[in-house]
Amino acid sequence: MNVTRTNIDDYLVVGLQGRLDTIQADAVEKTMLEILDQEHTRIILDCKEMDYISSSGLRILLIVQKRMLAVSGTLKLCNLQPSIQEIFDISGFSMIFTILPDLKTALKD
Amino acid sequence: MMENDDQTYTLKLSNQLGELGRLQEALESLPETMDLPPTLVMPLNLAMEEAFTNIVNYAFDDDNPHTIEVSITKHERELVISIVDDGRPYNPTLKEDPDIDLPVEDRKIGGLGIFLIKKIMDDVAYRRENEKNILMLTKKLTQ
Repeated sequence: MNVTRTNIDDYLVVGLQGRLDTIQADAVEKTMLEILDQEHTRIILDCKEMDYISSSGLRILLIVQKRMLAVSGTLKLCNLQPSIQEIFDISGFSMIFTILPDLKTALKD
Repeated sequence: MMENDDQTYTLKLSNQLGELGRLQEALESLPETMDLPPTLVMPLNLAMEEAFTNIVNYAFDDDNPHTIEVSITKHERELVISIVDDGRPYNPTLKEDPDIDLPVEDRKIGGLGIFLIKKIMDDVAYRRENEKNILMLTKKLTQ
């Protein structure tokens, strides 16, 4: 998985590209914790090119959400592929994340 | 004449997480070799990754190499996947489901794997036979 970082307006947009699976989980978790340690308070995870997620990946996203909540930060997800959205729905993750259809919408507010 | 013989694909994996790549490759070839809908690949891969990862991480008490045998059989109306390991007895179907309605503060980190398998597959069955764990995952095929 490739993780990109772009500053747009006052958001840090983190692009997740590829597979967020057990194999990739450790490296992605390390990167995400590094990002959290930089004390960003407004983060958008752009999942446009994320084509796979397993429980190892969901675990990381939950860690990020909990950390952001603890600092009263804003975390949004956008561009979920339909198959990924389905996994979010069945795991109850749709209810604990703010999910927007695209980056443009996520940047508004 | 339509051919109705069941097709089976068998894969022997060693108990290392690195084998997930081979599992992925095998699953990605299924739409072509077994004429399955491509949309099935992601959920099947997810269910099998969870099952395989659990076995590799928790089934074995020794450091010896073990074989985990995966068989995928396409019947007329369903796909049946069996995952067989010689680890210690463990019935994943007995694991309690996480409460997915909890607010984020109360959601536990982890513990979703087996739950996802149960949600994705139409049936999950376990039996212990000849010192082996046999997990059978069934997905209905709609066509």
